[in-house]
Amino acid sequence: MMSFGRPREDVWGPRRARVVAGMLALVFIVIVGRSAYVSVNGPDHAASAAPSAVAAATRRADIVDRRGELLATTVPGWSLAANPSAIWDAGEIANELKTVLPKLDLIGLTTQLSDRKRQFVWVQRGLTQEEKDAVFSLGVEGLQFVEEPRRVYPRERLAGHFLGYTNIDGEGLEGSELAFDARLRAGGEPLKLTLDAGVQFVIEEELEKAFVDFDMKGGAGIVVDANTGAVRAVASWPAMDPNRRGDQSKDIRTNRALNARFELGSIYKPLTVAAAMDTGVLKVSDRFDVSAPVKIGAALVKDPHPLPNAKSVTASDILAYSSNIGAALIAQRMGVERQQDFLRSLHLLGGQSHEGPQTASPLTPEVWDATAMATVSYGHGISVSPMAFAMTYSAFANGGNYVPPVFVEQGDGAKIEKSQVMSAETSAEVLAMLRRTVTEGTGKNADAQGYEVAGKTGTAEKPGPDGYDPNRNITSFAAVFPASRPQFVVLVVLDEAQPRTGDQRTAAYTAATIAGKVIARAAPLLDVRPVLAESKVEAASLRVSEATTP
Amino acid sequence: MKRLAIIGGLVVVVLAVAVYRAKLGAEETQGEIDALNAKAAAIGKDISVMKAEEAYLTRPERIGPIARQQLGLEQAKPDQYTASEALSRRLGEERLTLPAPEAAAPSAMDADAGGEKPPQ
Repeated sequence: MMSFGRPREDVWGPRRARVVAGMLALVFIVIVGRSAYVSVNGPDHAASAAPSAVAAATRRADIVDRRGELLATTVPGWSLAANPSAIWDAGEIANELKTVLPKLDLIGLTTQLSDRKRQFVWVQRGLTQEEKDAVFSLGVEGLQFVEEPRRVYPRERLAGHFLGYTNIDGEGLEGSELAFDARLRAGGEPLKLTLDAGVQFVIEEELEKAFVDFDMKGGAGIVVDANTGAVRAVASWPAMDPNRRGDQSKDIRTNRALNARFELGSIYKPLTVAAAMDTGVLKVSDRFDVSAPVKIGAALVKDPHPLPNAKSVTASDILAYSSNIGAALIAQRMGVERQQDFLRSLHLLGGQSHEGPQTASPLTPEVWDATAMATVSYGHGISVSPMAFAMTYSAFANGGNYVPPVFVEQGDGAKIEKSQVMSAETSAEVLAMLRRTVTEGTGKNADAQGYEVAGKTGTAEKPGPDGYDPNRNITSFAAVFPASRPQFVVLVVLDEAQPRTGDQRTAAYTAATIAGKVIARAAPLLDVRPVLAESKVEAASLRVSEATTP
Repeated sequence: MKRLAIIGGLVVVVLAVAVYRAKLGAEETQGEIDALNAKAAAIGKDISVMKAEEAYLTRPERIGPIARQQLGLEQAKPDQYTASEALSRRLGEERLTLPAPEAAAPSAMDADAGGEKPPQ
């Protein structure tokens, strides 16, 4: 049949050609369309699969003091890495690096660099600019610098313990860096502490100077705004430079103001007096016979030095001349329960919570019987951190309220947490007794001219394996100033301070002296104007007039 | 109809070119923004270093000795403070009345310039 005479391919050829042409056209349209889309919109994966080579990490927030003085910041830093697969002579390179980075572990580094299967090892992290330049000048192959932010503390030892430090990855490890880690890692505005760098320097310098006058193991100093709880200075000696945290021993790194516990001795006596007065079992006119030791429970309470008119002394005399017997007799009137309740209200038995670095939990008597009651009344048998204790004296300065410590500046109008722990009358009466202790009693060396210091000395023997050791003391001085318009609490604690001059190692000669010097220097920085007798003001005015008269 | 199709096609082409140009312009602007951000970040780092250096150089233990030795400055003692009322009482109001800033300025300038004119 000739109808089939046409070749088969001729029958299907045009149709197949059309199909192929159509498919090619379709592919072409898709390619053109896609090209147009990409040229206008960019590739689909641009945003998701190709992030910028270096994602900008959030910069850890700075820490500043209440006036905005920089205390901690983050600066660009460098770390040194190596590619062992590109290094031929690991020993030579390690030796060269050792010449400019002396802390390197030569053997360890040589071993690491010899492993040619590896392409990345850290050589040293946290280089200074000088170290980086020195390594760069070596011109060694196979090394690379990796930019890493570095946390620095430009004022070195200032508030070193309180600031704390971070690890190499910028995570808070100690102090405020740890306590406020989440806030700091979020970046943004600097964290403004309540500390005053000037006052902090004063107290640190006076503790440093104290070591010239006294042979001592350690010390702590605190200045607190009694009305708000704002901590203006918190120092621990020996001081610590957080820039050099790796070089410093555990003893130096210990924050004695917050993380150490001490039996603080007679600075508890005003608390005993206040508790008894507030309970109504003690009046300012009440008299006690402290001429002979008394036995309370199993404790025979003695006074190291006899008091004037010891057969008839008031509570004020007991504080001014620091009578253990008197304090124990007052506690006996009050009883164990009231004593515990009062100390609990002051958070000396634990349970204190506040924002920021925490304090060591207290050590209290296991059995709080009459013996414990007597010893606690004059500050033995109970150990607390200096920070926890300092806050108790705020009640003598603000009309009887306990305020917790505040470490971060609060905005205007922020609510101040406070709890009434004694009446305003009790607070005022004890404050007057504390003022007398300084003007007439054991605290004379703390009497900074013009600043009306009211305070109490404390000398406590340190406990040892064989009981209390009379040759090792904790001396302390807790103060409020100025007495006529109280604003600040100061606490100085010295660990085993022994005057090099041969004076007695009691607080009257050690901690009180330091506290007086701190107050004299810190008060002007805290905007406290001295109160002087009119004659002195006139004399000062006269000197001004003589100097200015032509 | 054919003319309309041609005009429509031309409009589409022109619009496509315009969109493409706008896209290129946006990319260039984004590049400039990125460059400026990088510059700002670099300056920010420089500022953080300089602030740290300033804080380091103004440490009290460094400034204190300089202030004492080179400027003769000492901390004021309590008896050097006085209330302004006490000064008024002791010295009299007229002695405390300072010259107006305008009047004081020339003598200060003279002193700075080493002039011999006595203070007014």
